[in-house]
This record gives sequence, C-alpha cells and structure tokens, in this order.
Amino acid sequence: MRKILLGTTAVVGAALLAPQVASAQEAPTVRIGGYFQAYYGNTQQTGTSATNVSMNTIGASDGGEATPFQASTGANTGAVTGSVANTSQNQQGSARLGHNDFSSDAEIHVFVNGKTANGLSYGAVLEMAFNQQEGSVRNNGRRAVNDKTTAFMDEMYAFISSPTLGQIRFGDEDGPMGGLMNAGFITNFGSGGVYGYWENFTVRPNRTTTSPGGLGDNTKLIYLSPQVFGFDLGLSWAFNEGTGEDVGCLNSFSSVNCDRAYAITGSGVPGRSHALPGRTNELQAMLRWRGNIAGVGIAASAGMMSSQVIRNVDVFGNIVKNLQSPQVYQVGLQATWQGLTVGANYMWGNTSFFYIPIARGSKGMEQYFVGASYTFGPITVGANGFWGSYAQLPGAAGIDGVATYGGQGAPMQKRYAFSVGGNYRLAPGMDIVAEWTQHTTHIAGNFGQQGFGSCSATQQNNCSNRATTQVFLTGLRLAF
Amino acid sequence: MKPHLLALGLLIPVLAACGGENSRQVRNDEYGDYRNSQARNKPQGASSGIVVFGVDRERQAREANAVGGTGLSVNAFLWRATLDTLAFMPLASADPFGGTIITDWYTPAAADGERFRAQAYVMGRQLRSDAVRVQVFRQVLARGQWVDAPVSASTNSELEDKVLARARELRSQSAAR
Repeated sequence: MRKILLGTTAVVGAALLAPQVASAQEAPTVRIGGYFQAYYGNTQQTGTSATNVSMNTIGASDGGEATPFQASTGANTGAVTGSVANTSQNQQGSARLGHNDFSSDAEIHVFVNGKTANGLSYGAVLEMAFNQQEGSVRNNGRRAVNDKTTAFMDEMYAFISSPTLGQIRFGDEDGPMGGLMNAGFITNFGSGGVYGYWENFTVRPNRTTTSPGGLGDNTKLIYLSPQVFGFDLGLSWAFNEGTGEDVGCLNSFSSVNCDRAYAITGSGVPGRSHALPGRTNELQAMLRWRGNIAGVGIAASAGMMSSQVIRNVDVFGNIVKNLQSPQVYQVGLQATWQGLTVGANYMWGNTSFFYIPIARGSKGMEQYFVGASYTFGPITVGANGFWGSYAQLPGAAGIDGVATYGGQGAPMQKRYAFSVGGNYRLAPGMDIVAEWTQHTTHIAGNFGQQGFGSCSATQQNNCSNRATTQVFLTGLRLAF
Repeated sequence: MKPHLLALGLLIPVLAACGGENSRQVRNDEYGDYRNSQARNKPQGASSGIVVFGVDRERQAREANAVGGTGLSVNAFLWRATLDTLAFMPLASADPFGGTIITDWYTPAAADGERFRAQAYVMGRQLRSDAVRVQVFRQVLARGQWVDAPVSASTNSELEDKVLARARELRSQSAAR
C-alpha cells in the first residue's frame, strides 16, 4: 500500500509540476438559474378516510416517526418524553380528501464560475428550494409558524477542477452514487415518471421511493476524476448525514438530533427518518463508462455506498449495535440511438427502502428499475418502473413496518411503481407535461394504512395487504 | 476492500495525468440530476441562466459563432446588419477583419444631380450601440463637376439606428433561446 501511495505521489507531483498549457484567466461570473413547475393532479389513493383517530393538529412533528422504540419489548413506548420531544398537539378527529389539486414548485440556483491563469476552474453552486416544510399549519398562531413554501438551501458546494487531475467538490451535494453518476435511470420524460412529481400529490407513507437522490446531500467531500479511455470515477466521504452549519443538537447537551451522534437511545427504530439519524462515516464510489459503439451511445455505471450505522446506547451508557451497517451496491446500463433511450438499473444491499438501516438478522433489499424514452422533434414520451423487495422496518407502525421487531423471519415488503408520460417542448426550457403513475406497497397479511399500527374497522384505515396510489398530472415546467 | 478502492481512486488521476489525448476534463454538466436526467448547470440544453455579475462568455461565444463561426474579428450581427442596410448601394470594398465597409457612389433615381457614398466601421466583437459608425458623403453636380456638399447631421445616426435594429433582429432570430 505504502509503495502504491509513494509511487502515486511521485507521478501526481510530476503532473502538477509539468508545464501548464497557457490559459486565459477568467474573472468569476455569477449566474442565476433554476426552474418553476406547476401541475394539476388527480389522485386516487387507497386508505385516505381516517375516522376518529388521533391526528396532529398543530403540525410541529410527525408523532409516529418520533416515537421511540423499546427493543426489549417490541412495543412503542408512546409519546416522547423529556425535552427532546417535538411538541405536537394530537387530538381525535376524522378527515376526508378530494381527488383534485394544483401544486407548484420552484428552485433558484446561483452558479459562480471562474478560471485561474493556470487552467483551474473553480466556483460554487447554491440551490435554493421552497418546500422546506411538507405539512401546512392552520391555527391561530400563524405568526410563529412557517408556510409550506418556506425557503431553504438544498445543495450548496464549492468546486475546484483541474483538466488533468479531476474535480473536488466540498459541501452539501449529492454523492457519486447519490445522483451524480448513475446510469440506467431513464427519467427524461414527463416530470420524471416514477421518480417524478406524483409524490407531491400523495399522502404518506405510500410514496417513498428508493431513488439515487434518496441518499441525500449531506455535507461531503467529493472527488470526481477526469475521463480516461471513457472511464471516470467518483468518490465521496461524509462523516454523518448532517447538512449546513451548526451541530444539529436540539439541546444544550449531546442529544439524539446532533449531527455527530454515533450512538443514541432508541436506535432500534430505524434511523434515516426525519426524527432520528442513521448513517455515519459514509463512503460512496461510482465508476462510469461512456462511449459510442456503432453509433449507439452507451453509459454504464457500477458503484456502492458503505457506511456505519447509528448505535444504541442505554441509560447506563452501554453501547450496542442493533442495526446493520448499510452497504448498498448498484449497476446500471443505458443506451441511446437516434432519440430512443433505454436503460436498466439493479440495486441490492442490506437496507430497507430509502436506504433505511434495518435490524441485524433482517434480509436486505433488491430493486430493479427499467425505463425507455423516445424523443422526436419537440416531443419526448417514455415509461419507467421499478419493483423491489425490502426488509421490514423494526417496530415502525403502519405500512412502513409491522408491530413486531424486525429481524430474521420478519415478512418482506414489496414496493412497485410504473409510469407513462410525455412532454412537449413549447420553447427551449419550457415544457408542457402529462404523466400517469401508479405506486403500490405490498406486505403479506393485512395491515392498517395511513400509518396506523393495526387494522381498525372503526378508523376505516382500509385493512388490506396492499396500498395503492394512482396520480395523473399535467402542467408545465420552465427551466431557466 | 478499502485499499483496493483507494488504489482505484488514485489510479484514474494518475492515468489522467499521463493519458494524453485519451483523457479529458469532465464538464460540470455531465453530472446528473437523476430526477429529470437534466444536466444541472445547463437546464434543458439552454445556457445556465442570467448573468448578474461578470462577463457573459457563453453569449459572446454564441454570438461569435452565430454566422457559422467565420472567424470574423468584429461582431457578426453588426457586420451582417451593416451589409444588409447598405445593400442598396454598390459595394466598393468590405474588410471583415478591419470592420470597414465602403460603398461606391450611388445616385438615387429620384435625384439626378446628387450622389452618395457611405463608409461604415464595425468596432469590436460585442453587440453594442456604439460599436458601429456610419459616415455618409454627398456630392452635387454643379456646372458639370461633382462637388462636395454637406449631409444632414441626422443622416448618419439614422443609418446607424437602422443597422442596430437589423442587428437586433438577426440576433433574436439566431439566439439559442
């Protein structure tokens, strides 16, 4: 190893010291870009008639997700106690939903780009989104709550790029496997098909997909190599899942929300929810090849994400690892010929859907994705779909899990979706979109939908072994 | 596993350093946004937004290439627009590198006793209102001799306005978006 490193250092040093090609220095430019999209959506979703159930009326948190899990008994302990708890206000109630809605979304991106005299490119990308909050709040205290369209920073990173040595990105950004270099995911039609906008018309939990971007844009250091003989490589490292500044703690002492937490009480509940952390020391690697074979453009990629997992520490300070350290692998292939693009991707590993860590002893996941699109003139049409089986989440309620501790012998859950759609390019950057998507979650045995732990005829939570959502959407998307 | 990864990670830049023509820098727009498969920095194939600070090099390059990348050393739109505007007069010389267009004498059908000649200068590569100058010369026939006569002061600026309007039209026709 040491020899490799020493040899490498010498060669890289020689490359660095070699005479550079003269290149004109460029003062940095600042560009504004982004997109806006707005759609009409018609949603047909099973199990949306909650009746006489305890529901959150103030919107401060998702009570179900924040409830700690007692691994010893396999039962939820109920309300979170102590100052760690998010204060939500629950009361008994019922609700009914209509089928039709409009929805809008936008992002504003700032691009800074410059070039030094010796040919290094540098810059930063700041992406501002306006969907920081998923739930809306309707109460008297509107002065103290955020609107659904509250702005927040999505990706933000700086980069330095050398023509011969590759690029370093540092900041909140997708990883090489988390969206930067994946092949096989055909989503260039409609709003993205199964990874498109339909989720925004769907009530949780029957909507969460396992897409590349689901790995998150936690603050990381990324290396992206130059392309050599068609190959390029991406590597990234993150210490945890935290983004942005500050330590993330909700208390003036070490607590479960801190970015740097590697052991917390209650990690028997799978991490990676918005209530609990999950991965630490995350490494992503992706190798990609792009080329042209007899006029057919080919892209292939293979990669992995490997990390450690949050551990459990009890009130006496004893640390136990009760979840598996996530290891996820992926291979993808896509081909393009005269406007026709087809692709497939296979992913497997030891997490549940959305890369959520699972209990030790649980079976892992595997997921297939296929897609195709065809572009003729201003029109692109396409279809894509995925199907996968994932380990159940230990202890979580409702269709996201069963009310028993996961692990060996626990039933798997299946999720599958397919979508057809198209878009018409009205003008460069401006698309008219139409798309239909169906997503299904299937768990052996009946289970209560709407996030409930059990079936209940009173609550009309549609006891079934599957939950289904169908969304038709149409609207426009403007990229600028 | 990890030493192999590290070795692989180091191998690519080393190969790149000595890869010669088989190595190239990967542009930022070649990394995906999985959600719409759209290149991040160049949404939908258009350029990346509006420049609010600094020089818009993409636009400069686009404009420079607008007339087939002819290697003009002056702004292509202004050059074409000047030629179009002065096309009603016979052309004596045109130098695209120096940016000068000189017409021959021209007598309008309605005015037998006077003739005109124009010189136009296109300056620089940028499409700017002060990057074109038109100078019109006029002679009248007096006792069988052509003698210089003054030109109305507004004639030159009116011709420049026509050139700029035509340039704007050409640019909007060829703009990428």
